[in-house]
Amino acid sequence: MRRWNIYTPEGVQDILFESCSQKRVLESKIRKAFKLNGYKEIEPPTIEFYDTFGGERGLISQESMYKFCDSKGRLLVLRPDLTVPVARIAATKLKDEVLPLKCCYIGNTFSFDELGGGRQHEFTQAGCELLGINSPEADAEVVAMAIETIRATGIDEFQIDIGQVGFFKGLMEESGLSEDEIEEVREFIDQKNLVGVEQVMDRHQVKNPLKRIILDLPKLFGSKDILQEIKYEDIGKVATKAIENIKEVLDILEDRNLSQYVSLDLGMVQSLNYYTGIVFRGYTYGVGFPILSGGRYDKLVAKFGRDCEATGFSLGINMVMMALERQKKQFEQESAGVFVTYEKNARKLAGDYCRQLIANDCIAELDIMQLGMEESKKYATAKGFSKFVCIKNDGSREEITL
Amino acid sequence: MRYITFALSKGRLTDLSISLLEGAGIDCTELKSNSRKLILSDEKNKIRFFLAKPADVPVYVEYGAADIGIVGKDTLIEEGRDLYEVLDLGFAKCKMCVAGPKELEGKMDLVSINRVATKYPEVARTYFRHKRRESVEIIKLSGSIELAPLVGLSEVIVDLVETGRTLKENGLVVLDTIADISARMVVNRVSMKMENQRITRIIEDIRKQL
Repeated sequence: MRRWNIYTPEGVQDILFESCSQKRVLESKIRKAFKLNGYKEIEPPTIEFYDTFGGERGLISQESMYKFCDSKGRLLVLRPDLTVPVARIAATKLKDEVLPLKCCYIGNTFSFDELGGGRQHEFTQAGCELLGINSPEADAEVVAMAIETIRATGIDEFQIDIGQVGFFKGLMEESGLSEDEIEEVREFIDQKNLVGVEQVMDRHQVKNPLKRIILDLPKLFGSKDILQEIKYEDIGKVATKAIENIKEVLDILEDRNLSQYVSLDLGMVQSLNYYTGIVFRGYTYGVGFPILSGGRYDKLVAKFGRDCEATGFSLGINMVMMALERQKKQFEQESAGVFVTYEKNARKLAGDYCRQLIANDCIAELDIMQLGMEESKKYATAKGFSKFVCIKNDGSREEITL
Repeated sequence: MRYITFALSKGRLTDLSISLLEGAGIDCTELKSNSRKLILSDEKNKIRFFLAKPADVPVYVEYGAADIGIVGKDTLIEEGRDLYEVLDLGFAKCKMCVAGPKELEGKMDLVSINRVATKYPEVARTYFRHKRRESVEIIKLSGSIELAPLVGLSEVIVDLVETGRTLKENGLVVLDTIADISARMVVNRVSMKMENQRITRIIEDIRKQL
């Protein structure tokens, strides 16, 4: 029989000493940034009902969720994301709170999605959600919060790409294409596949100037200047509104001195059934996947019985750790601590001394092995202590810096 | 300046890829020198190259181990990676087809197909599931796919067809075309944003030659 008892399942990892401590430091920096900006932390359960995420028009594909049953035979999942639980809570337990509601979370999520490139089946997400308000100020607030969160992690070279799904949806409405054709165009635009888009446009004889703008969509990314290429009268009401919205958001971000981090991508058209307005993603060097993603999702909370506009983002902590490592960013070293050993009759003194150090926020470890002077010095060196102290029988201290 | 890394497909696409890169002003001397080195570079333009098995190219690019890749559309649809597909390079053209014995011609909708042999299991599975709404058994083979219907391993095959000569000589015909295939240039989603200017210039320099 094969025994699995010494292994961990695929896609999960033990996070040990150094990286564990780095991860905690990172999390506490992020938590502090959230808190100072008025976001209150919540901790939803790790296990939820399958119905919360899945079901008929499920947000997350059935295949990507870890599933099991409760004692009554109901289907449960390990939460694949934390935005959906926040939406559930906002619609139920927090329904009487004063709006807007600012929530944040840091927690592990689970998904069977493919491994590699920093992706695991269990991963930590940190995110903010701003519920009960739909305005350019709210959209800009969340993008600004995303920027502040990335900066808090110590990554300084990064970019936030902003799109607006209303632009694509509006253009498609004007084009008169069928639902299947729209999905085809969406996929091509999402892949920046110019030839593919052109083929669909030709097949369905979409008229100029609309056709020209749709053909340009895969190229409409980069700096703010691309907005000047779009002529308003050609694109219909919905798309025009989307462009106005994006301009307002960019103006607010400029007032907050954040323009340097922001670029545009009007061809950002993923998850259209989920997002309803501004969408954004964060990128940095060293990882091939976005480290952050977010956007406006005004229809999600309604699935749980309350109409409530919402926007938010989540940051992948594991991706950030990988980026920091690849960018060779130094993590702060924790002070290495003091190892305290003692001569036979100085046990009480040594114990008191050790507790005193700890009370003063200094890492200290008392010699419980009674190794003797030479052996314990070796041990303290191997464990990376910075200082070695021996308490003598007469109460004197011998200190050696290692 | 950071390096921009190219993953090129080893095999019939290699030489054509190199001449496109040279046409775009990229120095490929080291790449053409038959060196044993795995990673070669053009130091002046800060560009690195490596050759990989075609099926691995989309993987390298998706993970960001390479910023840009040149690979056949057949591999792209089989691998289904999340990439930007920015250029159709137009060479290595052929078609992804369903082929089978002549008796099945025009009768694909009448008979139910149980077994499909192919080098492209994902392409075959998606085609039969979504386009024909059939659940079929996919048999993965590594070469000489045309053999399968001849020896009764499967009723039909899904494979690349260039001239159709092999099919014809073995009494097989194309029953349906799944996709037009040619070499494509793909870009990692993050690289496209973080190195927008340099990558856009490379794309334009290559597009001009097509």
